[in-house]
Amino acid sequence: MVAALVLMPLLGALAAGFFGRLLGDRGAQIVTSGLLVASAVLSWIVFFDVALGHQAAYKVQLATWMSSGALQVDWALRVDALTAVMLVVVNTVSALVHIYSVGYMAEDPHVPRFQAYLSLFTFAMLMLVTADNLVQTFFGWEGVGLASYLLIGFWYKKPSANAAAIKAFVVNRVGDFGFAIGIFAIFFVFGSVSYDTIFAAAPAVAGKTFNFLGYDLDIMTTICLLLFIGCCGKSAQLGLHTWLPDAMEGPTPVSALIHAATMVTAGVFLVARCSPLFELAPVALQVVTVVGASTAFFAATVGLVQTDIKRVIAYSTCSQLGYMFFAAGVGAYEASIFHLFTHAFFKALLFLGAGSVIHAMHHEQDMRHMGGLWRHIKFTYAVMWIGSLALAGIPLFAGYFSKDTILEVAYAAHSGPGTYAFWLGSAAAAMTAFYSWRLLFMTFHGKARWAGHGHDDHGHAHTPHESPLTMTVPLALLALGAALAGMIFYDNFVGNLREVFWAGSIHVAAGNHVLEEAHHVPEWAKLLPLVLSLGGILVAFWFYILRPRLPVALAETNPLLYRFLLNKWYFDELYDFIFVRPAFALGRLFWKGGDGRVIDGLGPDGVSARVLDLARRAARLQTGYVYHYAFAMLIGVAALVTWYVYRIGVTS
Amino acid sequence: MNLEVLVFYLFASITVAAAVMVISARNPVHSVLFLILAFFNAAGLFLLCGAEFLAMILVIVYVGAVAVLFLFVVMMLDINFAELRQGFLQYLPIGGLIGVILLVELALVLGSWTILPSAGGVAAAQTPAIGDITNTDALGRILYTHYLLPFQLAGMILLVAMVGAIVLTLRARPGVRRQSISAQNARTKELAAELKKVSSGQGV
Amino acid sequence: MTAALSNDLVLAIPELILAIGAMALLLLGAFRGEGAAGLVNWAAVGVLALAAWATLAGTGEAPRLAFSRLFVVDDFARFMKLLVLLGAALTLPMARSFMARAGAERFEFGVLVLLATLGMLVMISANDLITLYVGLELQSLALYVLAAFLRDDAKSTEAGLKYFVLGALSSGMLLYGASLIYGFSGTTNFVDLAATLGHGDGTGPAIGVVVGIVFLSAGLAFKVSAVPFHMWTPDVYEGAPTPVTAFFAAAPKVAAMALFVRTMISPLGDLAPQWQQIIVFMAVASMLLGAFAAIGQSNLKRLLAYSSIGHVGYALVGLAAGGLQGVRGVLVYMAIYMVMTLGSFGCLLAMRRGGQMVERVDELGGLSRTNPMLAFVLAALMFSLAGIPPLAGFFAKYFVFVAAIDAGLVVLSVIGMLASVVSGFYYLRVVKVMYFDDAVGPLDRPIPLPVRLVVTASGLLTVLYFIVPAPLLVSAEAAAKSLMP
Repeated sequence: MVAALVLMPLLGALAAGFFGRLLGDRGAQIVTSGLLVASAVLSWIVFFDVALGHQAAYKVQLATWMSSGALQVDWALRVDALTAVMLVVVNTVSALVHIYSVGYMAEDPHVPRFQAYLSLFTFAMLMLVTADNLVQTFFGWEGVGLASYLLIGFWYKKPSANAAAIKAFVVNRVGDFGFAIGIFAIFFVFGSVSYDTIFAAAPAVAGKTFNFLGYDLDIMTTICLLLFIGCCGKSAQLGLHTWLPDAMEGPTPVSALIHAATMVTAGVFLVARCSPLFELAPVALQVVTVVGASTAFFAATVGLVQTDIKRVIAYSTCSQLGYMFFAAGVGAYEASIFHLFTHAFFKALLFLGAGSVIHAMHHEQDMRHMGGLWRHIKFTYAVMWIGSLALAGIPLFAGYFSKDTILEVAYAAHSGPGTYAFWLGSAAAAMTAFYSWRLLFMTFHGKARWAGHGHDDHGHAHTPHESPLTMTVPLALLALGAALAGMIFYDNFVGNLREVFWAGSIHVAAGNHVLEEAHHVPEWAKLLPLVLSLGGILVAFWFYILRPRLPVALAETNPLLYRFLLNKWYFDELYDFIFVRPAFALGRLFWKGGDGRVIDGLGPDGVSARVLDLARRAARLQTGYVYHYAFAMLIGVAALVTWYVYRIGVTS
Repeated sequence: MNLEVLVFYLFASITVAAAVMVISARNPVHSVLFLILAFFNAAGLFLLCGAEFLAMILVIVYVGAVAVLFLFVVMMLDINFAELRQGFLQYLPIGGLIGVILLVELALVLGSWTILPSAGGVAAAQTPAIGDITNTDALGRILYTHYLLPFQLAGMILLVAMVGAIVLTLRARPGVRRQSISAQNARTKELAAELKKVSSGQGV
Repeated sequence: MTAALSNDLVLAIPELILAIGAMALLLLGAFRGEGAAGLVNWAAVGVLALAAWATLAGTGEAPRLAFSRLFVVDDFARFMKLLVLLGAALTLPMARSFMARAGAERFEFGVLVLLATLGMLVMISANDLITLYVGLELQSLALYVLAAFLRDDAKSTEAGLKYFVLGALSSGMLLYGASLIYGFSGTTNFVDLAATLGHGDGTGPAIGVVVGIVFLSAGLAFKVSAVPFHMWTPDVYEGAPTPVTAFFAAAPKVAAMALFVRTMISPLGDLAPQWQQIIVFMAVASMLLGAFAAIGQSNLKRLLAYSSIGHVGYALVGLAAGGLQGVRGVLVYMAIYMVMTLGSFGCLLAMRRGGQMVERVDELGGLSRTNPMLAFVLAALMFSLAGIPPLAGFFAKYFVFVAAIDAGLVVLSVIGMLASVVSGFYYLRVVKVMYFDDAVGPLDRPIPLPVRLVVTASGLLTVLYFIVPAPLLVSAEAAAKSLMP
């Protein structure tokens, strides 16, 4: 069953990718969506069996991938509670996005290709979450990276989309490099890449050090930090986050699936999966906490001033991923995965809702050109509210349960990084609420600013219109999840039932009681996030409904801060200066100087030029004069005779 | 020093001097005449060796036929030899160098002249003693027996030369009347002449 | 007629057939006049075929001497004679239509080819320096005339004259070398030479003998057009009528190479350490010059001339290696080379546009579209000449290089392979022009039948050689063995 679940998306991808023309647009949509829905149903069954039904974790051995000396890598599917949760998240969102895309991409000329990429991505993601060993994880890891690249650059005729795709790929390479070295290090230390073997052997390695360039480094810390570099790349954590906002160049369903719900959470998943290792590396955990908290805060600040509707949500995603990481960093992996779970629903909802808005606006994404839309697209308006409420962590909605738990565990950690995370996280919560409602107000309320901004001249009337059923039904389902997922699963994920629910798939060290302690934090710490969120909403209301001129005035009075935020803390400029331009310069040096002048010059070009010179000279010998020819013969004979006379003279 | 040696050096030095003059004389006719002189002296050298047949052949063939033909050609074709020799000085240094090198080396070779010890027994062909038999006789015997194959092949070479000469030069020129002996012989009196009766006093 | 003489004559039957045939056809032509050209041409092919048939008699027997040991018949001679006869027999029919168009259809052409071939057979069977020289002269003289056969064409005349003058010089050198060798060893016979030179007193050969060998090999190198005695080749190949050039590149080259090999291996075999250096030098120089000088050529005949210089270099690699393997390499090389070169010239003869021969490389533009079959064969031949597997040319190079490496001449082989890479440039340029350049225009049709047959046959042999390589290898091996003492 699990094998079928994993392979069906691949089947869909192959069918739509290679026989897309045969199937036609409609056929490709039906095949891929049908297979994905089936796969989603299966994954819910697995979830009920394994996670809720407490069936023992099991493994499905498919084949041997490689066997070389000590290196044994299998194609194997590992099914435990963590995997089951991820399966549900991935397949549910993916199935809904597949269906949603039917409506969203209706006018695109490359529908089969799009559906094939989506299914390919889903397959890779499933390989990632079901992997039984690090190499297979890495396979899925790179697979999703590839699919992400293909989908960001789906509209390959747009230069900005191509640039964004390349950027995403290159930045992810940096992280993947760390991940790969981490895998090498693990194989070097443990002699295996299989999770079970590694986890069993890990405690014996804890605290041991190795010498590197004269420094004694802790082995587990090093390994975990290397793995975390990979996570940073994939999950867009501070430093390697720059690709995520640009990735919004892809079609909106892609943003919802890959850049909100699933792929970007792969890093969080990996940390949870490797919790037996991270639990042995406290220093690494502290780094995770600090990086996560900083990301949460940083992305929230940038989200305050963005005007592109998708970019706001993208920074929000970045920020929420920061929450997940610092939750894991303080040792509450369950809370982290819980937030991943709920976040998948409401963030996919927000993206798809934004997609619906964009669809209604004929591919206009700038919020400054929207406004007053709620009258035209009431359904979308409603689901956006639900998504925002969940995101802001308003009680009863999904985000409330997961996010508050995270802030509580951060407080309860009683450590320097934990406190840092708590305060930054709380501030980010306020900002999250602010920019969410800023988005709602700018988009749906106020004056309609879209007159004359109908884009893409494609023949319908230029008034906003509600999306078709294929788009609204997935929205409704996701809204349901965003509203209820937190309430329903709270006890199972982080509440009293958590130990039977996870059944050891997440390892928590014996002395780690942070989740337990989280239930006993002071009242003010519990209430603070809620108060801040409500405050954020009120400020947004004040800024964008009551005093619409205020934000502008504020931006004018604080130009430095505004520009700083608008330019995303100048990360891109900094990277451009430090890495991109030197890399280009170096590349140009090697290309023009190294390759062109040295290698080509001395190699092919130089040799061929010399050959031509020689050829010309050789041809010039042929003067046509008989006496020259005769002379050449005589010289030849004389030379040979001289050679022999000399040689015999020497020898005798 | 007996007379024979004296004569040898006489002939030899004149031969070499004449050969130098052949290539250095300004007038091509003089060149050919010097060539004839060289031939005569070479024939003299042959005579000294007792090879009277070769000496006579040399005079008859080379002087009587080849050199005279040369003379004819040179005199009939107005070739400007001065022009042909223009590049001579230009190439003199390097040509001289090569020549000197080869000369020195060949001198070395001759200086070390020793018939290989193992070569004593194998003479190419048994030559009868001079005096038993005349030159001509001896040559004929060996040519038609031992060297039958090269001799016949030399005949083929001459045939090729003849064919080649004809191929390259013989052409049927239009507008040239040739003598046709058979046509002449086939002519009868009736064809050649016609008798007409002419009445006297009237004219033709 | 004594029994000994009749015995000698039996051994020389192929030569006799050619000699008598040539004279008979000469008479026929003389009596029948110019109209007999076609008849003489075909009759000459018949004579060649008859001679080839006679050559095959006695295959596998031990070497036999004749005519006072001036003449030898062994498997080596038979192998090379068959190649020569084949080369001659294939060029004759191809020449007819060309000569007819050039207005030079004369019966002497066939006769001269027969006489030249006779000279070649004598060269191949020469067992004495005198036979060697006489055979060489017979061949050369006929070739001089053939080169100048289009006597009203300035280029052809020039080619004949240049060939003649330089050939005379080379003959002089050869005679000088032969006389030096005779002077030091007292004999001109190959058997006696081998005996005399083989029994040195341990001090090495006299310097005079070595100098003699240098001059002798200079004369022979001229005939196979090895550097630095190659200078005549491009001019003569370009100037001579195309069928004559084809003949030059095929038959005389094989014969001269046979003579070269026999002279070096048989009488001078014990002096291999001495002459090996000459051959190595010539091989290296020929391969490099053949590779480099051809690059700048725009005339196909000139290009093929340099190509033939290069190929002689490769064949000389085999000779430099010496031994059974080396000689076998040379034999295989010459056989394959002859097939390829005949095919290439056949292609040249097949190409005529607006009544003019196509001789320039750029005139081949777009041939793959106007004459796909011809372009394919020419491309295959070019690839083969460049030595690209699995075509025949690759095997030719392979065997000589293997022999050279076994003989310890690794540097020579490496130079050869590098030269082969460089030479790939101009062979592939021809292919590129045919397949990727703009079409110049269709060729005249029809292509004469004999030309078509030769081109097809050589194309097939080149492409499919790798399927049945054994017969050639086996017979070459037997031929090489008969030469070994």
